[in-house]
Amino acid sequence: MKQIARRLAGHLARGLAMILVVTTISFLIIRSIPGDPMAAKAQKLMEQGMSPEQADRAVAVLYGFLPSGGMWDQYVDYMTGLARLDLGQSLTVPGTGVSTVLLGAAQWTVLPVLAGTLLSFLLGVTMGVYAAIKRSGKLGDALAVSGSLLHGVPQYVLAMLLAAIFTTLIPILPAGGTADIMIEPGFNAPYIGSLIEHATLPVVTYALASYGGWILAMKSSVVTVLGDDFILAAELRGLKRSFIFRYVARNAILPLFTILALSIGLLFGGAIFIEKIFNYPGLGLLLIDSISGRDYALMGGAFLLITVAIIIANIAADLLYTVIDPRVRDGAESS
Amino acid sequence: MSVTIMPEAGGAHATLRRNFWRGVWRVMKRKPSRLVGVVIMAGFAFMGIAGPLLYPAQLPRDTDALYAPPSWQHPFGTDFEGTDVVALVVTGSQYVLLTAVITAVITVVLGTGIGLFSGFKRGRWDTVLMRVTDMKLTIPGLPLLLVLSTVWKFSAAFEMGLVLGLLGWGGVARAVRAQTLSLRERGFIEAARGLGLSTTHIVGRELLPSMAPYIAMNALIAVTGAVYAQVGLFFLGVLPFEASNWGVMLNTAVFGGGALTTTAALPYLMAPLLAILLLTLGIVLVVDAMDEIFNPRLREE
Repeated sequence: MKQIARRLAGHLARGLAMILVVTTISFLIIRSIPGDPMAAKAQKLMEQGMSPEQADRAVAVLYGFLPSGGMWDQYVDYMTGLARLDLGQSLTVPGTGVSTVLLGAAQWTVLPVLAGTLLSFLLGVTMGVYAAIKRSGKLGDALAVSGSLLHGVPQYVLAMLLAAIFTTLIPILPAGGTADIMIEPGFNAPYIGSLIEHATLPVVTYALASYGGWILAMKSSVVTVLGDDFILAAELRGLKRSFIFRYVARNAILPLFTILALSIGLLFGGAIFIEKIFNYPGLGLLLIDSISGRDYALMGGAFLLITVAIIIANIAADLLYTVIDPRVRDGAESS
Repeated sequence: MSVTIMPEAGGAHATLRRNFWRGVWRVMKRKPSRLVGVVIMAGFAFMGIAGPLLYPAQLPRDTDALYAPPSWQHPFGTDFEGTDVVALVVTGSQYVLLTAVITAVITVVLGTGIGLFSGFKRGRWDTVLMRVTDMKLTIPGLPLLLVLSTVWKFSAAFEMGLVLGLLGWGGVARAVRAQTLSLRERGFIEAARGLGLSTTHIVGRELLPSMAPYIAMNALIAVTGAVYAQVGLFFLGVLPFEASNWGVMLNTAVFGGGALTTTAALPYLMAPLLAILLLTLGIVLVVDAMDEIFNPRLREE
C-alpha cells in the first residue's frame, strides 16, 4: 500500500510540473500572438464608450490577465485564475465560460477514446497470442504484417479511408455529428441507436489505430514467455495445453499495461484528426476550431485539458499495473 | 610493428565487410518482399530529387476537365483546377521528403548526442536531461504544434523540419541512453577504458559503431513520423500553403472538393493517401530487414 502511495505521489508531482509547463506555453503564446488581439479588443470596447480601466477589466475576464501591465504580473494573474479553475470566457460562444465549453466537448472525446482502447486491447491481445503461436506459419506472418502496417499508418489516413468507404462508396454510416438532429435527445431507443451509429466510425478508427501496436507487443511478449524455463517444465510435466496457455497469457499480458498509457496518449492526440474528419464535436475539433476562430482562451483551455487527460491516463495505467502485478503490489522488488 | 599489423587488420575488416554484404543478400533473398521495400524507398528518393524536374514549373491545367475521373491521360483524375493529380503527387513529394530528411537528421543528431552524453556521464546531468526528455515525451506533440502555429507559421521546408526535429528527439534519446548504459558495462568498453583510451575514442570508435544500425533504424522511423506530422498539419489547414505537397492536396480534396461526401474528388484524395501508404510500406519492410540483418537472434536459420 505504501508502495502505491509513493508512486501516486510521484505521478502527481510530475503531473503538476507538466501542467505548469503547458500553461506557461499557452500563456507565452497567447501573449505573443501577432496583431495583439487583446489590445485590439480593449480598443474596440473603449470606442464603444467604456473607460480604459473598464475595457481592460472586460478583456481580462476573457483572457485571464490584464492587457496592459508587466509580463510577470500578467503571468501571475493568469496562473491564479487557472488555479481557481477560471479559464476565461469563450469568444466564439459568447457569454459562456471556457470550462463549460470544454466540459461539453470532453465527453465526446473521452468516451470514444476509452471504447476504442478497450476494443483494440481485447482484439489486439487475442490476435497477438495467435500470431505468436502460429509465428512460423502463413497466418502468423499475415497477422504480424497487418499489425506493423496498421501500427505504421497515420490515424488520419485510416480515418479518411474509413470515411470514404463507409460514407461515400457504400453509404451505410452517417458522415458526421454525434446523433441525428431530427431525433429528440433523451433516454430513448432511437436516440441511443443514433448515438451509437454516429460513434461507430470514430470508435473503429481509434480501435484500428492502436490495434497494430497491441498485436505486435503481445506477440513479442508471448514469444519471450514461451521461451521461459517454467513453460518447458510445465510441458515436461505433461500439463494440459489449456493450463499452459493460462500460464503464458497471465505472464505475457503484464508488460502490456505499461504501453496502455502511451496508447491512450496517442489516441487523445489523434482525436484532433479523427474528430475533424468525422466532424465529431470533441476536444480535438474544439482545439482546431478555436485556432481558426482566434478564440485563444478556449485554445489554451483545450490544450490544457488534453494534457490533463493524458496525465490522468498515465496515472490510471500505472495504478492498474501496480494492482495487477503482484511483484510490484507487494513491494517485493523494493528498488 | 604497427606497419605489419595494419594490413592484417585491414584484411580482416574486408572479410568482415564481405560477410556482412553476404548476410544482407541472404536476408533479402529469403523474403523477397524486403527487396520490394528497398525498391520502393529508392523510387521515392528518385521522385523527391528528380520529380519536379520532370514537369514544367507551372503545371499544365486542363480547365475543361475539373475533377476529371481517372483515365489513361490522368490515372488519378484532375484536381479543382484541372491539374493532373499524379503530377501534383510527384512534384509535391520534394517538399514532403526534404522536410522529413531534415527532421530525421535533427532528431537523430540531438537524440544520439543527448542519449550518449546522459548514459555515459550519468550522475546529475543524466537525471536532469532524462526529466526533460520524459516531460517532452508526455506533452502531446500535435496539440503543441497546433498551438504553436498561431504565433509562428513554420511552413517553409527548413522551419518545418526544424520544429518537428526539435520536438521529436525524446524517444531516440531515451533509447540511445538505455543502449549506452548496457554497453558501457560490457567487456570491450571496459578494456578500452583500461587501455587508457580517450573518451572521444571510446564513444566514437567503440560505442557508436555498435549502435549505428539501431540509430539508422530510428532515423527511418523518424522519417515516417515527420511525413505524417507535416502532412497532417497541412491537412488541418492551420499553416499557410507553402508549396504544393501531399498535405495541401488532402486539405483541398476534403474541405474544398468534399471528397468524403461525393465520389467526384475521391481519386484526388486517394492519390496522396496511397503515396503515404506506399512510403510507409517501404520503410516498414526495410526496417524489418535491417532488424534481421543486425539482430542475429532474429535470424531464422
